[in-house]
Amino acid sequence: MSPLLELRDLGVTYATGDGEVRAVRDVNLTLEPGETLGIAGESGSGKSTVALSVLRLLPRTARVSGEILLDGEDVTGMRWGRLRAVRWSSASVVFQGAMHALNPVRKVGEQIAEPIRLHTSLAEPKVAARVAELLEQVDLPPAKARSYPHELSGGQKQRVMIAMALACEPGLILADEPTTALDVVVQAQVLTLLSGLVAERGIGLVMITHDLSVLAATCARIAVMYRGEIVEQGPGSEVMGRPRHEHTRALAAAFPTVGDPVSRFAPATANPLPPEPAREEPDADAPGLLAARDLRVTFRDRDGRAVPAVAGVDLDVRRDEIVALVGQSGSGKTTLARTLLGLQRPTGGSVLYDGSLVPTSSAGLKEYRRQVQLVLQDPASALNPRHTVYEAVAEGPRIHGLPGDERELVLEALESAELRPAETYLARLPHELSGGQRQRVVIAGALALRPSVLVADEPVASLDASVRGEILGLLLRLRRELGLAALVITHDLGLAWNIADRVAVMYRGQLVEVGSVEQVLLEPRHEYTKSLLAALPMGTASAFERGV
Amino acid sequence: MTSTTDGHLAADLDERRAGTSTPRFVAGKVGGALASLVLVVVLGFLLFRMIPGDPVATMTRDRPTSPEQLALLRERLGVDKPMWQQFLDYFGGLFQGDLGTSYMYSRPVADMIGERLGPTLLLVGTATVLAVLLGMWLGIRAAWKRDSAFDRVQTGVALTLWSVPQFWLGLLLLIATQGLFPSRGMRSPDVPEGFVAQSLDVAWHLTLPCVTLLAVIYAQYMLVMRSSLLEEMGSEYLTTARAKGLRDDLVRRRHAVPNALLPAVTLVFLQFGMVVSGTITVEAVFSWPGLGLLTYEALRGPDLPLLQGVFLVLAGSVIVMNLLAELLYRVLDPRVRAS
Repeated sequence: MSPLLELRDLGVTYATGDGEVRAVRDVNLTLEPGETLGIAGESGSGKSTVALSVLRLLPRTARVSGEILLDGEDVTGMRWGRLRAVRWSSASVVFQGAMHALNPVRKVGEQIAEPIRLHTSLAEPKVAARVAELLEQVDLPPAKARSYPHELSGGQKQRVMIAMALACEPGLILADEPTTALDVVVQAQVLTLLSGLVAERGIGLVMITHDLSVLAATCARIAVMYRGEIVEQGPGSEVMGRPRHEHTRALAAAFPTVGDPVSRFAPATANPLPPEPAREEPDADAPGLLAARDLRVTFRDRDGRAVPAVAGVDLDVRRDEIVALVGQSGSGKTTLARTLLGLQRPTGGSVLYDGSLVPTSSAGLKEYRRQVQLVLQDPASALNPRHTVYEAVAEGPRIHGLPGDERELVLEALESAELRPAETYLARLPHELSGGQRQRVVIAGALALRPSVLVADEPVASLDASVRGEILGLLLRLRRELGLAALVITHDLGLAWNIADRVAVMYRGQLVEVGSVEQVLLEPRHEYTKSLLAALPMGTASAFERGV
Repeated sequence: MTSTTDGHLAADLDERRAGTSTPRFVAGKVGGALASLVLVVVLGFLLFRMIPGDPVATMTRDRPTSPEQLALLRERLGVDKPMWQQFLDYFGGLFQGDLGTSYMYSRPVADMIGERLGPTLLLVGTATVLAVLLGMWLGIRAAWKRDSAFDRVQTGVALTLWSVPQFWLGLLLLIATQGLFPSRGMRSPDVPEGFVAQSLDVAWHLTLPCVTLLAVIYAQYMLVMRSSLLEEMGSEYLTTARAKGLRDDLVRRRHAVPNALLPAVTLVFLQFGMVVSGTITVEAVFSWPGLGLLTYEALRGPDLPLLQGVFLVLAGSVIVMNLLAELLYRVLDPRVRAS
């Protein structure tokens, strides 16, 4: 019997304005029915191109070479009619449904029914029954068929995508970043559901993601792609446990195992970290450099009901420490950060800076914001695309009228953000920089004001795995060398383990647990912290050691 | 502190954003439109009082008149009263459908506008419907075959026509068709009775003004449709649709076009009011007995009550169309219903 999917010497070339780009080279993969295969790699590695080529969904500019055998039949040579018949009935795709893979103006039931109507001759009442059955399989109430995508949460949309993929009972499911942009807890639910359904029905699964830990939890075999080639392939535990290729090691290090002493205060960075300076034992009773006391922010919804976003938070960020604020989306962590920065007026309580109340006058706020700087998640949109690096970094000092030579200040800030040699970056525009370099420019813009606290909202969430470690290393280095305090907002517990001194866990507007990283992540007391840790695809090292 | 349960988590994930109720939404929008309408009334009144010149002097410029006659005329027109009283009279009259009396024709302005509204709606309605159909069809084809010869040629032609002055194109068409179509008016005097014969005669007269208007305005529908479809074409849900095995034209018809239509629909309604005001030149060239020609005549006076009335109707139509666009958008786009 032929394998379910076989890729022989697959190559994909895109014709672009500047000549040809080889996105995929010499890829050989085999998948037997019922097997699970994970393809890992960062953006641009060609992993999504491989997935899309299986159903010939690549843009017109792509040229495919080699063979793609689906149930023994070469997809590359199929006529359009045959190809359309094979699509979804032999192999279906689970896209990143949480984002835009569902049509926003059609009800999800309609979208699930569409391939059923197309590929089977089921009578209309039976189609509706089949949709209800599929929704039940993904643990959604059948009534959700009448919902529009925007009425569903990210996890629910992803479940709809899975239901849709199962609609025509295909032998193969290609899942392209199925859990990216989902919260850890929801991610765990979706992964469990998907692996369960696939195993139950003996469906072959190809899972594509940048997150190795997700693959390790769901796939028997893992292939790692780098620059269009497969650099390593083997059983999941082996690739994760004893990565042979350098790039696999970088990928694995980007998602550290919580509790693993090797990755504590050791983000994956190529530059060496300075040694830990001697730090005074902080006075637990004195307020931190930046402090919140019984802080409350309440929004009103359309019907005038009070919605507490931040409900009585006490938090201290001390000199010379990095605090990670952890919680899932909607927990109020971004509102808390905005309020600390004076961008959102608190409904109650107070924000203290260096022991005194943060001023509310615009002049006072301006001075305060020089001290407390914000770094945003997406460097691509945080930078004005028409401003050069020099202008982007010089803007802050100009607004605040900082003394000294402007060029000196900019160069110094770029140097601190490790953009070296700084002169070569001055005249460049954001689109000429990589994602990691852009985030460094954003950080340099903040450093140019010589702040004492950085508030970073998901600073690495939109960056590639190999760049993540570098940016985290930068934050840690700034703390060690300059004593720069930071409040890092994240949904990623591994990040906290990597660089933070203390962790504050936020749930429904309240801090349910605050303490040192070791204390909170290794011996969680609150149920919510435990559920976050349990949702980590890899579990924690302490769980490994206990043999769970 | 163990208040966290799975139930809580599930509730967090199951939050549905509830939108405003439909009656409340409609009431809000209608209220806003009415407020704009009142502003238009006030603005219209003040605007035409600021035009320099004495209307009575203009009316009597060719005839010798005694001061007594002038005073009598002033009293009859009501321009001797203080400004605030003139406004109250005017505003009160609006509620009874009274837009004042034309200085030049000595007829109620409301009646005159009523007569001219039909021909304008016929001209603008026909031209808009045709322009929308043509523009959207071309826009969809151009976007789907982006950068093809079809796309380039059609975009170029549309932009050229869009930038041509209407009166010039009208005159050009008149010359080019060499009397194939009538050059003025809406009806011929010697057409037999009967609906069919009359309709054919009107259609024959309608052809040139309609084509002129159509040629100038279809470009905007085409360009909006093209760009909004291009924006949708990169969307991931279209890849999903293709992966399902749908034919290319079904992907386009069922998934891409309905999404791309949303901005285009708003434009159609917003522009309808503008097109009405834009017919002044076309109607003047072809002597089409509509609101545009009436405006042209009123401007020559200037016939203040008539101008004021036309201004009110034109501005009002923009507001009403805007309101319709917002209400329709809510029906078409489920996302607007929610937020």
